[in-house]
Amino acid sequence: MTRFTTTRRAALLGAVGAASTFAIGGRAFGQGAPVVFGVLPPLTGAGGPYGPAMLRAVQGVVEEANAAGGIRGRQIRVVAEDDQTNPDAAVRGARKLIDVDRVSAIIGTWASASTTAVAPLCWENRVSLFTVSGADSITLLPHQGFIFRTQPNSRLQITTASDWLLGKGARRVFHLAAQSPFAQSSQDVMSERFRAAGGAVTGFIIYERDKTAFRSEIDQLMRSRSDTVMLNGYLPDTTILLREMFRAGFDGRRFTFAYAAPAAIFGSLPNEVTNGVTTFQPSPDLDSPAFKRLQTRFGNVEVDPYSAQVHDHASMAILAAALAGDASGTAIRDNVRRISQGDGEKVDNVTDGLRLIAAGRAVNFEGASGPCEFDERGDIRGTKFRYEVAEGGRYRMLELA
Amino acid sequence: MIEDWRDLAQVVLNGVMAGSVLMLPAIGFNCIFAVLRYPNFAVAGFATMGAFAGWIANAQWGLPAGAALLVAFLAAGAIGLLAEELALKPLRPAGPLTVAIASVALTILLENIIRFAFGNDLKGYDLPILRDWRFDGIRVSPQQLSNTAYAIAAAAALFALLAFTRLGRAMRAVADNPVLADIKGVDPDRIARVAVFIGAGLAGFGGMLIGLDTSIDPLTGFRVVLSVFAAAVVGGLGSIPGAALGAMVVGLGEEFAGVLLEPAYRTVTAFLAILLVLMFRPSGLLGARA
Repeated sequence: MTRFTTTRRAALLGAVGAASTFAIGGRAFGQGAPVVFGVLPPLTGAGGPYGPAMLRAVQGVVEEANAAGGIRGRQIRVVAEDDQTNPDAAVRGARKLIDVDRVSAIIGTWASASTTAVAPLCWENRVSLFTVSGADSITLLPHQGFIFRTQPNSRLQITTASDWLLGKGARRVFHLAAQSPFAQSSQDVMSERFRAAGGAVTGFIIYERDKTAFRSEIDQLMRSRSDTVMLNGYLPDTTILLREMFRAGFDGRRFTFAYAAPAAIFGSLPNEVTNGVTTFQPSPDLDSPAFKRLQTRFGNVEVDPYSAQVHDHASMAILAAALAGDASGTAIRDNVRRISQGDGEKVDNVTDGLRLIAAGRAVNFEGASGPCEFDERGDIRGTKFRYEVAEGGRYRMLELA
Repeated sequence: MIEDWRDLAQVVLNGVMAGSVLMLPAIGFNCIFAVLRYPNFAVAGFATMGAFAGWIANAQWGLPAGAALLVAFLAAGAIGLLAEELALKPLRPAGPLTVAIASVALTILLENIIRFAFGNDLKGYDLPILRDWRFDGIRVSPQQLSNTAYAIAAAAALFALLAFTRLGRAMRAVADNPVLADIKGVDPDRIARVAVFIGAGLAGFGGMLIGLDTSIDPLTGFRVVLSVFAAAVVGGLGSIPGAALGAMVVGLGEEFAGVLLEPAYRTVTAFLAILLVLMFRPSGLLGARA
């Protein structure tokens, strides 16, 4: 009978050997491990009409990049969490993406309240955050450069909208806003613009979004004898407000953000209620090759501006990591401007961008949402706005300015 | 701001209409509490289920609102009964807190079933939207008036059932003293099933009333669950008339808060109502029993 004996020294050597094997294996794995990007769109809640398409847009870019060889040979993996258009759920989702999935970038936060809640987690963990939220306060946070916003901030949006309304003859505007980080700042900007032009904001109400009836708010609107109402909320509450305005016989102009009255609204309100509702939104670059390609990928249906923006978020994160040769959040932060602005060769897709970067050439990415140039705070520069009016259950474009 | 008696009358009217929509889910909540002695937060899910069942009946099958409300009641009642038997009843031995927590999970499950089946988009009933009537400057919405009438009719039917039928007397007996009712030959299990069916059905009926006035989506019930709970607590947990009164108090409170308070403080209305009642009258405005 053979006896196996294990000395203490042999056991120690064995343990060291086993540990080395893991270490070598770990290193080898680390070199080829996929780069992980988190996507945190509103798959449900008030932003639910947009989130699923936003996720598809990101997945499309990542598939294209993986087919082109990934980031310096590393494949890219997308992990999605639903922010539920709710800051609590957004924070839970972001925590999971950062702590469990070890993402280097989070893409696609939509509601300003969610982005505001998630942003500190991102900069503290050195994760780049790409957002489509509009509240001014977001890029004023001490984010150390980790926030990139492709949506014009609310000051620019409200200034543009106020000037457009004034140009159309509006003088007495009533402002109905859902409780949000941009309600008060929107009011300040509107008051300033209308006062300067000899008009007035005749009333301002911040309402609770989850109410099922807004009769008292509409009573105040009716008493104000306004020629225009600015609806500064989200889809569920805007639907109720439009219905109650119709019942009350409000015959002034009804003006709102496109995300608060997307085409989905025609499924829940009859045309007699929606006819004449005017919307505005920052417009994607409709003529750009990137936008047209995204539209084809979506099956030639209408592409919303948020899908166009997150398409660009994913493209920029991939190209920035490829240029840096490092997929960390800090490397992405430091290289986004180097691939999206400057004198490099213009590219509108990740395949061409990755090829040029691999060849050592400078690139300037121009995406589906526009030129993607950021100021020092991380805010986008120069965007067009699209104005549309509801007629017979569909939107007709009024103006692109 | 309130400037004359018309403004005051308008706010009161708006509050009564808002309260009447909360009334049925609150009565459903208390109906289940009275017999089973646990707060079933799944009334939010039952309300959403009822709203969607009514939507299918109205928008897909072409039934009028009254018949669709009946479908909403029956569908939500059946779903409530099924959920109770499969998910909550096995947990009853673990105590009311466990069942209450499970009911929160159940409402999230029901909400997500709706989401899978119907998507996230808002849906509207196939009804004409009527202009408001005006009486000396006071606006009255025909739709909201008919919703209030439906709610009062449903509540009256429940009161009649409880007051004048053998089944109603048996339900009240179990609510008062289940052991004594059992000795007298009333089957508490059967009564519990009836209470859950009626409670969930009323929540579904109320859910569709909310939808008739607005639109529906998977969060329709969840949005009002805090107000419904506040109404039930203010009126007195387990008290059916209390739930009706509590709903009016909460409805009026929310409307007055909308006019008088800064927006940041408005959400506190429901909590404040619960707090005040628990401080000065812990059993609610109308006691603890039906």
